[in-house]
Amino acid sequence: MTDHGHDHDHDRTVKPMVDEITDFEVLEIALRELCIEKGIFTAEEHRRFTEFAEQIGPTPAAHLVAKAWLDPEFKKLALAEPMTASKEVGVDWMEPTGFGTPSDFTAFQILANTPTVHNVIVCALCSCYPRPILGNSPEWYRTPNYRRRLVRWPRQVLAEFGLYLPDEISVHVQDSNQKHRFMVMPLRPEGTQDWTEAQLVEIITRDCLIGVALPKAGVTTNVITDTRPAVHPGTAG
Amino acid sequence: MSAAGDPGATEHVDIDALKQIVHRDQTWPRMAAKYGVENPVPPWKTSLDGLCDALDQASCDANVPNFKERRDEEDALSATLYSGLPYPENQLVSLAHSLVARGIIDEAELKRRLASIRERLEA
Repeated sequence: MTDHGHDHDHDRTVKPMVDEITDFEVLEIALRELCIEKGIFTAEEHRRFTEFAEQIGPTPAAHLVAKAWLDPEFKKLALAEPMTASKEVGVDWMEPTGFGTPSDFTAFQILANTPTVHNVIVCALCSCYPRPILGNSPEWYRTPNYRRRLVRWPRQVLAEFGLYLPDEISVHVQDSNQKHRFMVMPLRPEGTQDWTEAQLVEIITRDCLIGVALPKAGVTTNVITDTRPAVHPGTAG
Repeated sequence: MSAAGDPGATEHVDIDALKQIVHRDQTWPRMAAKYGVENPVPPWKTSLDGLCDALDQASCDANVPNFKERRDEEDALSATLYSGLPYPENQLVSLAHSLVARGIIDEAELKRRLASIRERLEA
C-alpha cells in the first residue's frame, strides 16, 4: 500500500509530453496508411524499417574505432576487410536490417586519418550515409549547403564546425554514393594512453566518424551547428 | 496531376491541404517549447524514416519516386515552397507533396484521411 504522506513531488516524476495532436503527426499516419492500402508496401515492412531506424546509432562505429586503437591487428582487419570488422561490433552490412538488404547498402570502406591526411565524408548527390554502423545522418549532413560547399571549400566548412586544420594536413573529401559508404577512423588523441575501450568510445562521437571533428579527451558531445539554407546557384546575387 | 521526372516541376503543383498544415504551424520546436518537452525531434520521426525506407524499397512501382528522386524533390521543395518549415517537418511535407504531385495519392483522398485520422486520435 502506498503512503501518500511522503514528500516527493508528483509533478516532477513524469516527463512532460506534448498534449496536443499535431497536423504533422496526422499527416505521417495518413501517408503511411494510404501507401499501405495502395499496396506500395505492407504494414509489416513499415514496422520492420521503423524498428531498424529506432535501433541504429553511432555506437558500433565508435566501438570499431576504439578496438582498432587498442589492437593493431584489428586495425589492419578494419582497413582491409571493413565488412568483417563491422561484424565484430554487431553490424552485418549484407543484412543490416536483419530482414533483407535495403537497396542502398552494398559496399563499405573505412578511411584512416594519418598525421598528414584528414578524411571527411559527404554525399554530394543526396544524403547517402553509413546508417547501419553510424545511425541516421544529422540534419546538416542532408543539407545542400554542406553537400555542395564541402567539396569546394572543405577547410572553410570544417572551420564552421570549429575544426581548424593546419596547412600541412591535407583534407580528403570522400563522396559517398548509393552503393558505396564510408566512415572515418580518426587518430587516437593524446591523453588517452591508459584508457579502456569503454572510455575511448565516449569520445569517439558521430562528428569524429564523419570527419567534422577530432576526438579529444573530455569531449563527448557533437558540435551543434545552425543549419544554413542553401543559396540556389541560379538565384544567387 | 503528375509531375514526375523533374524535381523542380513538383513545386508548381498547388496542394491546399498541405498549405493549411504549414499555415497552422504546429512544428516540433513550437510544440516542444509550449509543453516543456526536451526531445530534439518529434515522436513521428522514426516512423517517417521507416516510411521513406519502405518507399525506397518499393520504388519499382510506376511513379513511386526512387531514393534519389525522393531526395531531389525533398531538397527542391524544402528550399522553396516549404522553406519556412524546420526539419523533419519539411521532409514530411515534401514527401506528401511529391506523392500528391505524382498522382500516387489524390489530394481529396488525403484531405478525407487527415480528417478521419484526427477524429480517431481525438476520440
